[in-house]
Amino acid sequence: MKDNEKVFSQELLDRCISCGYCLPVCPTYEITKDEASSPRGRINIMRAVQNNELTIFESLEQSSYCLGCRACEVVCPAGVEYGHMLEEWRDATWKGTSRPLIVRGLLIFAQSKFLIRIFGLFNLRNYKKQKNNEINLMLGCFERGLYPGVSSASSKIFKDLSIDPSQGCCGALHAHNGELDKGRLLAKEMGEKLSGVILTTSGGCAAHLSDVLGKNRVREVSQYLHESELFEQLKPIYKNGKKIKIGLQDSCHLRNGLAVFHQPREILKKIGEYIEVPGASECCGAAGSYSLVRPKDSKQIVSKKVKAIDELDLDYLVTVNPGCQRQMSTSIKRGPKVIHIVELVQQSLKLKESNG
Amino acid sequence: MIDGLVRLLGADKVKSDPVTLETYSRDATPEYFARPEAVVFAESTQDVVKIVNFANENKVPLIARGAGSNLCAATVPITGGIILALSKMNKILEISKSEMLAVVQPAVNTLELDNEAAKLNLMYPPDPGSRNVSTIGGNISTCAGGLRGLKYGVTRNYVLGLEIVLGSGEVIKTGGRLVKDVAGYDLTRLFVGSEGTLGVITEAIVALRPRPKVSKYGVAYFDSLENAAIAVEQIVSDGILPATLEFLDNVCINSVEDYANLGLNRSAGALLLFGDDGDEHTAESNTSQMAEICQKTSGILSVVRAKNVVEADALLEARRCSLPSLARLKSLSILEDISVSRPMLPVAVRRIEEIAKKYNLVIGTFGHAGDGNLHPTIVVDKNNPTEVAAAHQALADIFNLAIELGGTITGEHGVGIAKLPYLAARLGETQMEVLRRVKRTFDPNGILNPGKLGS
Repeated sequence: MKDNEKVFSQELLDRCISCGYCLPVCPTYEITKDEASSPRGRINIMRAVQNNELTIFESLEQSSYCLGCRACEVVCPAGVEYGHMLEEWRDATWKGTSRPLIVRGLLIFAQSKFLIRIFGLFNLRNYKKQKNNEINLMLGCFERGLYPGVSSASSKIFKDLSIDPSQGCCGALHAHNGELDKGRLLAKEMGEKLSGVILTTSGGCAAHLSDVLGKNRVREVSQYLHESELFEQLKPIYKNGKKIKIGLQDSCHLRNGLAVFHQPREILKKIGEYIEVPGASECCGAAGSYSLVRPKDSKQIVSKKVKAIDELDLDYLVTVNPGCQRQMSTSIKRGPKVIHIVELVQQSLKLKESNG
Repeated sequence: MIDGLVRLLGADKVKSDPVTLETYSRDATPEYFARPEAVVFAESTQDVVKIVNFANENKVPLIARGAGSNLCAATVPITGGIILALSKMNKILEISKSEMLAVVQPAVNTLELDNEAAKLNLMYPPDPGSRNVSTIGGNISTCAGGLRGLKYGVTRNYVLGLEIVLGSGEVIKTGGRLVKDVAGYDLTRLFVGSEGTLGVITEAIVALRPRPKVSKYGVAYFDSLENAAIAVEQIVSDGILPATLEFLDNVCINSVEDYANLGLNRSAGALLLFGDDGDEHTAESNTSQMAEICQKTSGILSVVRAKNVVEADALLEARRCSLPSLARLKSLSILEDISVSRPMLPVAVRRIEEIAKKYNLVIGTFGHAGDGNLHPTIVVDKNNPTEVAAAHQALADIFNLAIELGGTITGEHGVGIAKLPYLAARLGETQMEVLRRVKRTFDPNGILNPGKLGS
């Protein structure tokens, strides 16, 4: 366990064997080709901080430049838990006033159940308050206000969900932005409030909740749909007599943290002509609060993706996470409509149009 | 010095902040680190010439670096100086299908080159374990080997020509696109494995081969590594030159199984992975014949053929995750790389087991059985000085053993800093002096990667 005097759990730091397998998959290393902005380089920075060879202040830039996409974890032969190390790092670098102002704002919002409810208020009529069901729908803190159609579609697809509008935020945002303890606490609170299995439409929240509550308590919506009998009922959607062309943007934490990536693809293959976007598995640059904190770097990351999508002539680009939804819909100026997977599923099952 | 570099190259190619310097103080070798004074990013041969001239004028060490994935501390700047990062020179300039060759910049990724070659039904055969991160320039500088060395050879067999900025700042082009060319000394070969001590490779022409259509695999369990080595010897004596002959000892089998849960036989003394590639008929008949030979070898426990690609991948996975699995046993793992002639393999593996007993250490041995290249890996607790000291004594014993058996201290990883103390024992004093003379010819001021080969 972590020594309280230290920034990092020594056991996590020791696991890295410095082989460098992570370099080719790191989006920031891809841009800079600089060891300092690679996962191995960042772990060496963490080690130097741990041993007082670098100050926590000196390490701030690289801790903040990292997207936290965890692509490095998937290729790591030694099983390094980079995501956890980054959380510990941000916990130390973004303490108090060194935390970017915009992040502070987001966190204050997200830990207030009152503000979240106000935010999602105009959409409340969509949620029928139900109790005593095994499956609880998580509404999300920002998602319920920004993309009310998503929760609404979920509640129409899965008829017997419990929906409790008094729920708050799962704490993923906190854990990734330097409030690890708070983030874990919020997840535990969510786990107590919503009994049984928590169904979420956000890949990032799914990974965080699974991490704190255990995988058996959490289902991401594409994963859940793929397991359910509704999967077989999915029908193709046609546009001008042809099956719609659909691409996907993976959610990093869903893919790299929970290994859920073939499920959304299987679903989309039933709904239309599925086309794999080159680099679909790579981070879109939304990365939680990243697009707000480092807009220039975020744009640089997403630009390659926008170019690739531009060449495909898609009807829809599907996302499985609200952050990616926002990033892709603001980045794609012309071309496919950016849509959350449940909204397309709702159309496929010919359920009533959402209000969103 | 930093100001001079910035004036020469522009501010965006020069870094000297403590964070950058810290991350360039290490490569993939445990236990070795030293901070450089600056890191410069070259984007062209002209940049490299400027930097080499600067280093000569200021008499400052210059250490070229690709991906930093080597295992001999070849890119650790032990004397300080400038790290010359070539990571931005990463373009494949040309792949010629009719000539079966590729022209590449030094930091082209090894796996990427093979993937691009595959699109034309060609392959780049050297496949070092680190190929998903390593660079062609780094592979050439250490003469990297790989898992199919017996059949396909190693990096040196595929380098046709080089563009090099010498330590003197002069630029030469050795070799070329030709299959036959004996005009002059074979300087291309001299630069292969020179570990950045003679010049900086800025472009390379490498040979490609037709891509085999299929690969077949099988696995045999033996009671001991020694009997597995005897089977290997028998296979090659029977005239088979297979693409794959890899083995793992009992320590590796169990750590791999703990880690990856592949369903391996934990009680076996050794696992031998065999296989061949080519057309369907040849690959199949060679793989079946190898299975038969294993079956007849004494100490055989069982032989299983991979029925499909999924099973084959699981077997390859067992071999590939040997090192990381061992690394999870304790906080420090030291991976070595001796090579002996194939007939000496059974003796070598038995003696390594004796060394492990003598020092009471955990040593897992895996390796490329087909070409006699062994990777005994010592795992210790890095905070236990007695254990670490014992590990280094055991390493010395292992190097001495290799030399005693007519083998070498490093098969494919390189000398770097880590094995320099044992080099004289392998080469003799006269040859060591010749190395120094060669070094002076190409790098008169001794600025390139000092304190390593040729010093």
